[in-house]
This record gives sequence, C-alpha cells and structure tokens, in this order.
Amino acid sequence: METIELTFTLNQREVTVSVAPNRRLLDILREELHLTGTKEGCGIGECGACTVLLNGRTVNSCLILAGQAQGSEIITIEGVEKAGGKLHPLQESFLEKGAVQCGFCTPGMVLSALALLRKNSTPNVDEIREAISGNLCRCTGYKQIVEAIQAAAGKLQRK
Amino acid sequence: MTADQLTIVGKPVRKVDGVELVTGKAKFAGDLQFPGLLHGYARRAGIPAGYIKSVDVALALKVPGVVDILRGEDIPGPNIMGILPPYDQPLLATEDIRYEGESICLVVAESRDAARAGARAIKIDLEEIEPILDIDEAMAEGSRKIHPGGNIVVSKNLIKGDIDKGFREADVIVENTYRTSHQEHAYMEPESVCAVPESNGRVTVYASCQSPYHLRGHIAANLNLPASRVKVVQAFTGGSFGGKDDVASEIGALAAVAALRTGRPVRIAHDREESIIGSNLRHPSRIYYRTGAKKDGTITAREFKIILDGGAYASESPFVVMKALIHATGPYSVPNVRGSSTAVYTNKTYSGAFRGFGVPQGIYGSECQIEELALALNMDPLELRRKNGLKPGDSTGTGQIFEESVGMQACIDRVDDCRKEMADAPEPDPDRWLYGTGYSGVIQGISNGAEGIDVVGGSVQAMQDGSILVGVGLTELGQGSRTVFAQIAAEVMGVTIDQVTVRPVDTDSVHDSGPTVASRSTTVGGMAVWKAAQNVKKSLVSMAALMFKAEEEMVILKENFAILAVDDSARIPLASVATAAYWTGFPLMDLVFSKAPVADYDEETTQGNIYIAYNYGCHLMKIRIDRYTGRVEVLRHVAAHDLGKVVNPLGVEGQVMGASLTGFGLAHLEKIQMKDGHIQNANFADYAVPTIKDRIPTETISVEDYNPTGPYGVKGIGEPPVAGAAAAFANAVADATGIRFTRLPITRQDIVKALQKQQEDSHGSFSKDWRR
Ligand code: FES
Ligand code: FES
Repeated sequence: METIELTFTLNQREVTVSVAPNRRLLDILREELHLTGTKEGCGIGECGACTVLLNGRTVNSCLILAGQAQGSEIITIEGVEKAGGKLHPLQESFLEKGAVQCGFCTPGMVLSALALLRKNSTPNVDEIREAISGNLCRCTGYKQIVEAIQAAAGKLQRK
Repeated sequence: MTADQLTIVGKPVRKVDGVELVTGKAKFAGDLQFPGLLHGYARRAGIPAGYIKSVDVALALKVPGVVDILRGEDIPGPNIMGILPPYDQPLLATEDIRYEGESICLVVAESRDAARAGARAIKIDLEEIEPILDIDEAMAEGSRKIHPGGNIVVSKNLIKGDIDKGFREADVIVENTYRTSHQEHAYMEPESVCAVPESNGRVTVYASCQSPYHLRGHIAANLNLPASRVKVVQAFTGGSFGGKDDVASEIGALAAVAALRTGRPVRIAHDREESIIGSNLRHPSRIYYRTGAKKDGTITAREFKIILDGGAYASESPFVVMKALIHATGPYSVPNVRGSSTAVYTNKTYSGAFRGFGVPQGIYGSECQIEELALALNMDPLELRRKNGLKPGDSTGTGQIFEESVGMQACIDRVDDCRKEMADAPEPDPDRWLYGTGYSGVIQGISNGAEGIDVVGGSVQAMQDGSILVGVGLTELGQGSRTVFAQIAAEVMGVTIDQVTVRPVDTDSVHDSGPTVASRSTTVGGMAVWKAAQNVKKSLVSMAALMFKAEEEMVILKENFAILAVDDSARIPLASVATAAYWTGFPLMDLVFSKAPVADYDEETTQGNIYIAYNYGCHLMKIRIDRYTGRVEVLRHVAAHDLGKVVNPLGVEGQVMGASLTGFGLAHLEKIQMKDGHIQNANFADYAVPTIKDRIPTETISVEDYNPTGPYGVKGIGEPPVAGAAAAFANAVADATGIRFTRLPITRQDIVKALQKQQEDSHGSFSKDWRR
C-alpha cells in the first residue's frame, strides 16, 4: 500500500514516519515509534486506555488516522514525566492515593487528568468526573483516582 | 509481634511496582517486541452448536503474509484445555461446535491484518444444529447431550441436621427463586500472550495471566514436552478477576505450538470482542431458597437448590458449584440445612471463575431471603442478622467451627453505628424520589479449601548490600500482592521497603504455587514469604550477634541496621552484616513451601472443615430512585469487613471500592445480551462497564479480628465486597419501591416498568409508603 510521510511533534520532539494513511495513531505510536505506554482496551473509542493529547486536547488514539496527526503536537504518557525522570505531580498523586491497581487504564487516566488541570487548575469533583468519564477503570472503583487528581491540583497550585 | 511494634505492616504503602505503571514503562504482554514476531488469530465457529463437516485452508495459505495455519490435528499433545477435570475443551475444535466462540483454526501471519485476512479466507463447512440454551432444556430427560457424559457438569449436596425438624420448628417460612445474569470480567487489558522459541530447546511464554503454573502444565501437555522445557513468565497483567485462566492456557498453548512449528516468536492478542465471546463469563444462576425462623427471628432451617449455567465447557464450574454450595447459608448459624448445587452445560460461552466465584449469586438470593424474613417477622433487618450472625464457636453451613477470627457481629455493629448516625430528617423531594436502605451479610472462604491442595512457594534472598529479593509463585494482577509481600519481607528483615524487590512470577524461579485465586495471596502466599524471610533473618541475626559479641536474642534488625537491644546507638549497617554473613558462609537465601491445612469433609453431605478462615462482612446501601425515570442514585454505601488484619490500608480500600463497584454493576448495570446463542453486545459501547459516573460512595470499614492462620493475622479481601454490594443494592431497591425484584441486574428499565405496573395496580396512585 501507498505510504504517506508524517511529521509531528511527539513529546516535544519532532518525528517523521512513513506509514500507510489508514494506520491508526495508536498503532503508529506503539508499533512504529515503540511507545507502548499508550494502551488499547477496546479499539472503538469507548475505554480511554489509548488517550493521548493532540494539540492539547484528549483524543482516543484508536480513532485517529495517520493523516490527522500531520503537523500536530502530541503528548503521550512517556512525555508526562519531568526532565531527569522526575514524576509529574499527577503521577506522584496517583501512587500516593492508591489510584493505580493493574495500571492498564493509568496512562489514559493521567493524560485526561493532565488536560483537565491545564485548563482548570482547581477542578471540583463534578469537573473531574466529566474529564475522566471517557476513561474506564475496572479495578479501582474510581474514588482514589478522583482523590489523586484533587491532590495533584493542590500540589500544582502551591507551586 | 503486637501491632504497635510493626513498622511497615499496617501502614499505607505505595504500590512497589507503581512507578513503571504511572510512567507507561511497564511492559504488558502486548507491549513486548521480538525480532521476527508473528501474529496468531483464530477463526471461530460463529454458530452456537453444530458439527464441522470440512475445513479447507488452501486459499487462506495463499493470502499474502500468512505463514502457517494450525488445526486441531496439528497439536502435538492431546489438544485439550481446561483448568480442571474433565478437561473437556479442545484448543481447536475438530468435530463438535459447542459455542459460538469455538476456535477451529489458528492462522499465523506476518501481521495482525494478514492473519485476519487469512482467517476470513478459510472455507469451513458447518452443519448447524438446534442449540440448547436453557438450563431446564439441558437438564430435561432425553435432551441432546452436549458432551458424551450428558449435560450435568457436576452436582453436589449439602446436608446438615434435620431439615424437616427445622421447618417444623419454624413459625414463619419464606421462599423464593432468584436469578442472576452473565457478567463479563471487563478487565481493561484483553488477553494476550507471546511465545518465544529458545535456542536451548525450550519455549518461553510471556503471558497476561493469573495462574502461570496452570499455563505451564497446559502448554507442555499440548506440546507433548516435559514441563521443564516450558517457562512461563507473567508480564504486567491488566486485571484478571478470575478471567485469565482457561483462556490464557488456550492462547498460551496455541502460541507455543505455533512458535515451535515456525521457529519464530508468536503473539496472540485478543481484541475486545474475542475477549468477551471467547473467554469465560460469570455463571448465570437460578437459585431457589426456602428459609424458616421462629417468632424471635432464630433461623431454624434452610433449603435450597442452586443451578448454574456453565455454558459449553466445564472450566471452573466444579469449584464454583462447591463454593456456592458451601456459602449457601451465608454468614449465619443455621442448624438444619439441605440443598444442592449443580452446573449445567448449554451452548453458550463457557462460565468460570469471576471475583466471588459463585458466592455473589448465592449471597444475593440468601440476603433477599433474610430481608423477606425480616418483613414477615416484622423485625428489624439488621437485628435479624445480628441474631443469627456467626460468632466464635458457631458452626458454619458445613459444620466447621472457628474459635477465633469470626468478626461478623463486629461488622454488623459497625454498620448499625452508621445507620444510627444517619439523620432521621425527612428526605428532600419525596414526591419524586423513593428512598430506601438495604443491608447484606457476607461470608467468603479464604484459601483453596474444597478446591484442592493449597501450597505456595516463596523465596527470600538477602544481597550483600542488605537489600532483599522476594519471589512468590502467585501473581500480581493489580490487587497489590507484590506490595503486600514486600511489606511482609521488609517487616521481618528490618529493612525499609525501598530495599525490597519482588520479582515477576516466572515458573523457573519458585515451585508450583497453584492458581492466584480465592483471596488467598496475602494469607497463604504471605505466609510463605514470612517463613522464608524468618530463615534468612536467622543468618543475619547470627552474624550480627558474632559481630556484637552478644547473644542472638539481643539483636534486633530495624531500619536497615542490626541494633543491640540494650543500646540503640550500637548499630551495624545491615549491608555490613550481610556481607560478613556471606563471607562467613551463612545461607542468605531460603525457599519455603507453605501449605494450608487440607480440607477434610464428607463428600455426600459436604460437612467438615473446608477453609483456613472466612472473611465476614456487612453492607449498608442507601439509595433513591426517581419514580418517573427509574434512575438510581446511591447516597451511601458502607462496607464493613473482617479481614483479620489490614496490611496495606491503601490496598484494602482499593480492593473494597473496586469489588463493590463490580458488585453494583452485577446488580444494576451489566448484562450480556444473549440471543439464539449469540452474544449481542460484545463490545464496550453496548456492554455497560461502570464508568466514573456510576461510581458509588463506598466507605470502607475494616474490622481486624486476628486470624491465627495468616501472617500478622491477615485474611483476604479481594472478593467479598462483590456479593455485599450486589445484595445490599437489591435490598435497597426492595425497600424503596416495595417491590421484590428476583433477577439481577435490576436495571433502570426494570424499575420503571415495575413502578408503572405498581401504579396501575393501585389504580393510578403511587403508594406513598408501601410498608403501611
Ligand atoms: S482503545 Fe481507544 S478508546 Fe478504547
Ligand atoms: S487500575 Fe486496572 S483498569 Fe484501572
């Protein structure tokens, strides 16, 4: 099949890959660029495990085709850590509050939370609920995830 | 060791493998890459019942990228799987089709897409026959036999006391029949394995799985190789809840066969649809209960008949049958009991293990009975539970007596306290909202019990720098067992938790530890770690005593130091002690085989000693229902459990919250839609996994009634809240509406319909308070 040349900014670095135009962004990230932190849970936009930030907004990367990524800015879980491998306050809070069990939903959760905190630094519980309503978690019952996001918001405020 | 001396056990501890997970670095089976990796994809039957007339793979082999196609005849071993006897399930069907997800061929190709294209190109001629979809039809005299032995997977009885006498003594008798539906595990990571042929004639299988030793056994048998040639490594596993057992052996064995045939690594990764159709579900059930009590509430007798829809294959039905049977009297003292538990074959996706293992179904019915009994006796439902709730020295349904660690009454007390503090103020907007509160009592056996021998291997190794490496044969599935094992090792060895590493399970590293099931990890697995750590500690203490020139009794290991008991300032870093111990020749590693007492009971009556301990619980759920739309809001949910000892409060809360939401899903939201033997909603758009919008406000209460059979007194907590939340919800709905729903889930639509009917029956007006 024909391929297209795709250039975009990934975790603040420019990357170029040559892929079939019908490849999903999820596959490009996982298979071409070997960033396997982005997970596939359903493949139809229902679970949020594949969440990444595309131009600052959360998207399900299983629903994004290659062409849509052209020239965009993408952040995956691998780009959330601070320089020098220091955990982002959100990641710290997820650990501190017990919001991670099997961890399969965690990358997507963290990115949805990150997008929220970037536009709203003091979200209330309803806003948190809304922000991660597209991310399923079978393990935690969600309470500790909400607490973690609240705690991270607090930490970022104090900075 | 008393609780106040503990430094790490009992404290909230971060998940020891958490950093990998929050950064996305953790490698799940589907994340692993190997040069030359091939992809396997199964062509499935797509019909619920029939026979294979012919299979033609000639065209499919010509599809670009297709490397190999396996059929049942190509499996070197017996081509069977299944966790338990009768091992009635083929890896690849060769004659009979017993459910729609039956795999017939495995296509191996250079890419996933090529494998799928190959699968589509296979020509299969099937003769379709009328499926048996109903349990009554399956059990009917003369019905078609789904398996040669007939349609009963297994049937067991429980007989205690004199049932006739029990009912004669009763002043009030209630009876009813309850039903539950299929539930899907819906772990976020679909099943996945990767088999890699090694140059030394072995094969390594990296798997998302729950029980690596089962897997090793199945793979070796189907390869017709000694088990020592197979190594199974558990990758990070994205949830299991009982679900990644049979199916992991299925795809693990297929991938291993394909890898050895092609000489290349082979991955089989299910998509969500395959995960729902092609792996086990929670058993649907039909449970009849009849319960008698005296005027004062004392339960005198219970009769029951449990029928579980096992689907196409036995899977873990034999054990689920036993578990439902053993727990049929709930957490109550019932002197006279008679009942049976049966699993039946039908032409549907097979049923098997799922968090709770038959207990949620039974407890739901049983707790409805308790509430119906309370109504009939005009007695407070919590008082009725208190009156009959098990106490130390009481006899369980199987006649087992525990003198210790029976915290049922304390759980009821704690729930009663919550109830008392709930304001008696009038509820807002009563014209729109129906308010109700429901309770449940829970019991769940810890350890394999009647399901077989319970042994776990645990190894502890001290390095020369004083750090500790732990290996256990039980898997981390998200429940936090690795963290608990690290806590126990750190506690014994006197090191900080950052010094402890718990290695992933690899079947080469410790001996067969059986399946990771039955809420047994912390209890039985923890015991193995505790014992192994004690032995390594002995070496370090002996060495430190030599270095201090003191008696061994005078040495304490604490905070990464050996410390002299009489003088806290006399300290030697543990690293120095460990190094000296190594050069002196003290053993710094130990491997312990920890074994729980073997269950001992009568096969005919199921009377005897089954488990090493029980977890007890009491739940309260307060809800309100919008009488016009049926929408349910959970206002309060209290989950009190006697878990012996809390090892990691963060982990316990997570287990209780997660299990409770799964119970709520079972009771209210989740339902596999089955039509003519086909699952209609095998995706997350149509199958309602609870989202954060369905979250319930669970409050976790831990009752710590020391269990002498667990390290530091611990029991387990992974499963029991499922039953507790499901039953409390059902009772809350009954309390709010005055309608007893006898089928789970009780969906919003069910509620609206029933309320409409209630309104019609009462000539157009809602009964404001049905209780009067
Ligand atoms: S995999 Fe993309 S939403 Fe589920
Ligand atoms: S932690 Fe397992 S799915 Fe969220």
